Amino acid sequence: MIILALDSSAGLCAAAFYDASDGTALGRVVEDIGRGHAERMMAVIEAARLEAGIALKEIDRIAVTVGPGSFTGIRVGVATARGLALALGRPSVGVTTLEALAASVAPADVSVMAILDARRDEVFAQVFAADGTPLTDPAALSVAEAADLAIRHDARLIGSGSPLVASLLGQPERAISEAGTVEILDVARVGAGKTASAPPAPLYLRSPDAKPQEAYLLARQERLAQ
Amino acid sequence: MPNSILVLGIETSCDETAASLVRRNPDGSGNILSNVVLSQLDEHAPFGGVVPEIAARAHVEALDGIISQALARAETTLDDVDAIAATSGPGLIGGLIVGLMTGKAIAAATGKPLYAVNHLEGHALTARLTDGIRDPYLLLLVSGGHTQLLVVAGVGDYRRLATTIDDALGEAFDKTAKLLGLPYPGGPEVERRAASGDPLRFDLPRPMHGEERLDFSFSGLKTAVRQQAAKHAPLSEEDVADLCASFQKAVTDTLEERLSRGLTRFRADFPEIDTPALVVAGGVAANRAIRTALASLTNRHGFRLIAAPIELCTDNAAMIAWAGAERMALGLLADTADVAPRSRWPLDESAEVRIGSGRRGAKA
Repeated sequence: MIILALDSSAGLCAAAFYDASDGTALGRVVEDIGRGHAERMMAVIEAARLEAGIALKEIDRIAVTVGPGSFTGIRVGVATARGLALALGRPSVGVTTLEALAASVAPADVSVMAILDARRDEVFAQVFAADGTPLTDPAALSVAEAADLAIRHDARLIGSGSPLVASLLGQPERAISEAGTVEILDVARVGAGKTASAPPAPLYLRSPDAKPQEAYLLARQERLAQ
Repeated sequence: MPNSILVLGIETSCDETAASLVRRNPDGSGNILSNVVLSQLDEHAPFGGVVPEIAARAHVEALDGIISQALARAETTLDDVDAIAATSGPGLIGGLIVGLMTGKAIAAATGKPLYAVNHLEGHALTARLTDGIRDPYLLLLVSGGHTQLLVVAGVGDYRRLATTIDDALGEAFDKTAKLLGLPYPGGPEVERRAASGDPLRFDLPRPMHGEERLDFSFSGLKTAVRQQAAKHAPLSEEDVADLCASFQKAVTDTLEERLSRGLTRFRADFPEIDTPALVVAGGVAANRAIRTALASLTNRHGFRLIAAPIELCTDNAAMIAWAGAERMALGLLADTADVAPRSRWPLDESAEVRIGSGRRGAKA
């Protein structure tokens, strides 16, 4: 099975063609661009495709990071993956950035907690068993809540949020990596193992930040009468 | 004679997720094979307006399904499509990204050209699809985001005669509705209430009246409505109806006065056209009082009024597909895969900036 993996959930713009039957990376292109994923994404895919030396229609599925991460970046990736899936008649699957981070250390002999710094004193976190099975749902947590969770599962910490949690715990040795971005081949590997049941949907873990507006309203007679 | 061209159009610049298949025939006429529009009205209604992040989230979940529906209704497949056209601006950036990336991906997977279309060009060229106009014509675009008067001289040849210097007309309708506590979207509700109100009860301004330049302004009118309404609060149903009617009257009077100058200018610029056309597009064009006022105005000036059917006046992807087909038919180059979405993108880039020029350039 040949996977096309895409990631634009953070500062990287990455694409890889990966043969899951023998675990070979056929082509892998990663650009650290910060922003402007909408402009670069197709060129990155094309560069990886040329490196792999295959046609787009030879792929069997598309895997894409669905977050948590930059809302805009996630949508660049998900829209691209779903557009490719529609036009190629192949399934697309979503891989969370937390899953991909955890997969970078698997197989481990202990449970792993993937933690991304979400700013505003929050982290996005999820705990995985040694074999990669998720033990909790991905969630936006305060650093303190994340620390509790790490202790409860006696988990090693990985990801950009791990120093925050490790320092709160006073256990710097618990953090095994501070990576803030995912390895595109991990996305491919995790994506290869998934059941392609529903199209990938963004995992925001935060609401759109909109509040119903009442301030504009003038008083109405029937409102007073009620 | 060129062959017919089949284009898939994608539109996601505001709060409608839309896809359409349009064929342009060798003689320049067109057929809409399908026109699917998913409105996000219910998702934005609690907020009294379009929330950009909510819109972007809805687009990315819905768009591929809407495209599949459009293909199915047109009884065609991507194999038969000659090009993909996607709105790449102006509009809400989150939605534009979703539509443009989907278009780029489909183009890459099928090896077909991608046209990144200006949303306003879609509105501008609709009359060539629906009514087959070839002469230069005047376009009045009135929506929640735009209020512009343009000369459409041909595909890619647009001259802006006037624009709003502050609020768009649809915005003024929506804000009036909002302060009166009328449900979203406010425009149709203001029209409904106005029908039973007294248009002469409240003395509201006619912004820009008598000014030589052709531009519009609606911010002062909106503020005047608010002041009058505040003076009479708490408002009875009758007060609300009278405010709506007086507001709508101020709008139609203003449009008549402003456009009268625009029509005169067009006559002077194109004396050879016997019966020129004023094309009206945008969501506000659905307002019957405005249509009536425009009909009588154009009649007085010897113009004919062309108002596209409502489903082609409001945001849709058929107009985007058509704009792509027109560009392809002229042999214009397709866009490259690095084309960027543009939240701001004036149709007439040579026009003097009147409103909101910032880091991203002129708003309209």
